[in-house]
Amino acid sequence: MKITSLLVLKCQPEGSDPVILANASDVTHFGYFQRSSIREFIVFVSRTVAKRTPSGQRQSVQHEEYMVHSYNRNGLCAIGFMDGHYPVRSAFSLLNQVLDEYQKSFGESWRAAQADSTQTWPYLDEALTKFQDPAEADKLLKIQRELDETKIILHKTIDSVLARGEKLDSLVEKSSDLSAASQMFYNQAKRNNQCCSIL
Amino acid sequence: MPVKPAQSPFRDRTQEFLSVAERLKKSSTSGLNQNGPSSSSSRAEDKRSVVALQSEFNKRASKIGLGIHQTSQKLSKLAKLAKRTSVFDDPTMEIQELTAVIKQDITALNSAVVDLQLFCNSRNEGGVSSDTSSHSTTVVDDLKNRLMSATKEFKDVLTMRTENLKVHENRRQLFSSAASKDSPNPFVRQRPLAAKSAAGASNNLPQWANGSASSSQLFPRKQMDGESQPLLQQQQQQMVPLQDSYMQSRAEALQNVESTIHELGTIFNQLATLVSQQGEIAIRIDENMDDTLANVEGAQGALLKYLNSISSNRWLMIKIFFVLIIFLMFFLFFVA
Repeated sequence: MKITSLLVLKCQPEGSDPVILANASDVTHFGYFQRSSIREFIVFVSRTVAKRTPSGQRQSVQHEEYMVHSYNRNGLCAIGFMDGHYPVRSAFSLLNQVLDEYQKSFGESWRAAQADSTQTWPYLDEALTKFQDPAEADKLLKIQRELDETKIILHKTIDSVLARGEKLDSLVEKSSDLSAASQMFYNQAKRNNQCCSIL
Repeated sequence: MPVKPAQSPFRDRTQEFLSVAERLKKSSTSGLNQNGPSSSSSRAEDKRSVVALQSEFNKRASKIGLGIHQTSQKLSKLAKLAKRTSVFDDPTMEIQELTAVIKQDITALNSAVVDLQLFCNSRNEGGVSSDTSSHSTTVVDDLKNRLMSATKEFKDVLTMRTENLKVHENRRQLFSSAASKDSPNPFVRQRPLAAKSAAGASNNLPQWANGSASSSQLFPRKQMDGESQPLLQQQQQQMVPLQDSYMQSRAEALQNVESTIHELGTIFNQLATLVSQQGEIAIRIDENMDDTLANVEGAQGALLKYLNSISSNRWLMIKIFFVLIIFLMFFLFFVA
């Protein structure tokens, strides 16, 4: 369940190549010499995918062992490189969030961009690390997980309540036995007093 | 019923009627010379026009019957085609043409039957015998019933066709999503054959969405799809199902969450029931302990009394005095 890279691109309406606006990649698990080529590869594939994602559409493409998810919204396209286990829905909600954040922080200035921007956007880097766990990105998944935990806890509670019930049953028995014995004790003591003179 | 398809088996008795009319004319002209010819001729004309109307009605009815029969034959052909369709051998073009033709036929027949009915009503108001009018109304009703059954069959065939298409779509999606994992080419996600038939299906669908009465919900969504650029058509095919599957997965997740919450509610209820039952048990235990306490206190009082009685010497002294006095008496009586 790993996100390898997140990118934001600007899609030109005509057929020209999209422009990269922000790029965050985590290539640390590759060997040192492969890293730059992997970065290039990511850039190239994301450009191609973004070019072919029409506006207002979501798309998922399988490329070698990566799933590339792209979401194009009014010319602003967010792309994520994830492995096959990352749930698709969380991926798209993550892309949604990235796009919203980008529009909040940069407004409409991205429309004027013509060349690949080289500045890093710290939010994207944080997002990359934070959202390695799909539950963070997808609230639904988080809620579902918490609900499942709650259900487990409740099951345990019910088990302990049942054990308590058994103990209470044994207590009832013992207390009723006790009450019977004490009654006999009282009767005996009364009988001792009444019966005639002790000779 | 005398109206059968492809031939009109009604007995044509116009000749006999004409001869009867001649005879009557001859008999009436002997009675009324001036009005006779004109009235009888007009009556004969009326009768002839009645006969003409009758045969006109019959001709139309027989034409309509023939049309219905042909339409039902075409319908059976369409049904066979629709049943036969498989994933790769889709005779969609023929099915499309046949559907269009049948639809036209049915509408034409419908209007013809309505016309026939109006014609029959207008003629019946001209004061003909009740037999003829009942005969014509029955004929019209029969034709209407047959037309209705043909339309129903048509609808059934269309539903079957849409179901088949849905099944094919599912199968195709299964295959295409399995193939995508192995395919090295990242941007073509479908087998070309399946893509072609999918393209074919999406082209058919706009016609159907407009034409057929029983289109399913799948089609209007794919209709938008069919109007997209031909360049990206293959990917587009996959994208609308992806949008759908995205939305569907979200909907599914929400439903899961809702059901989980519901289950949690049930579990809480059960917990509450258990705890309240155990509360009763606890109260019983409490009562038992109270009883025990009372008993033991009573017993303790009794024992104290007993102790008192044992530790006091009164009885003993009385007993000793008694014995002494008895001895004294005995001594006094027997010695003195």
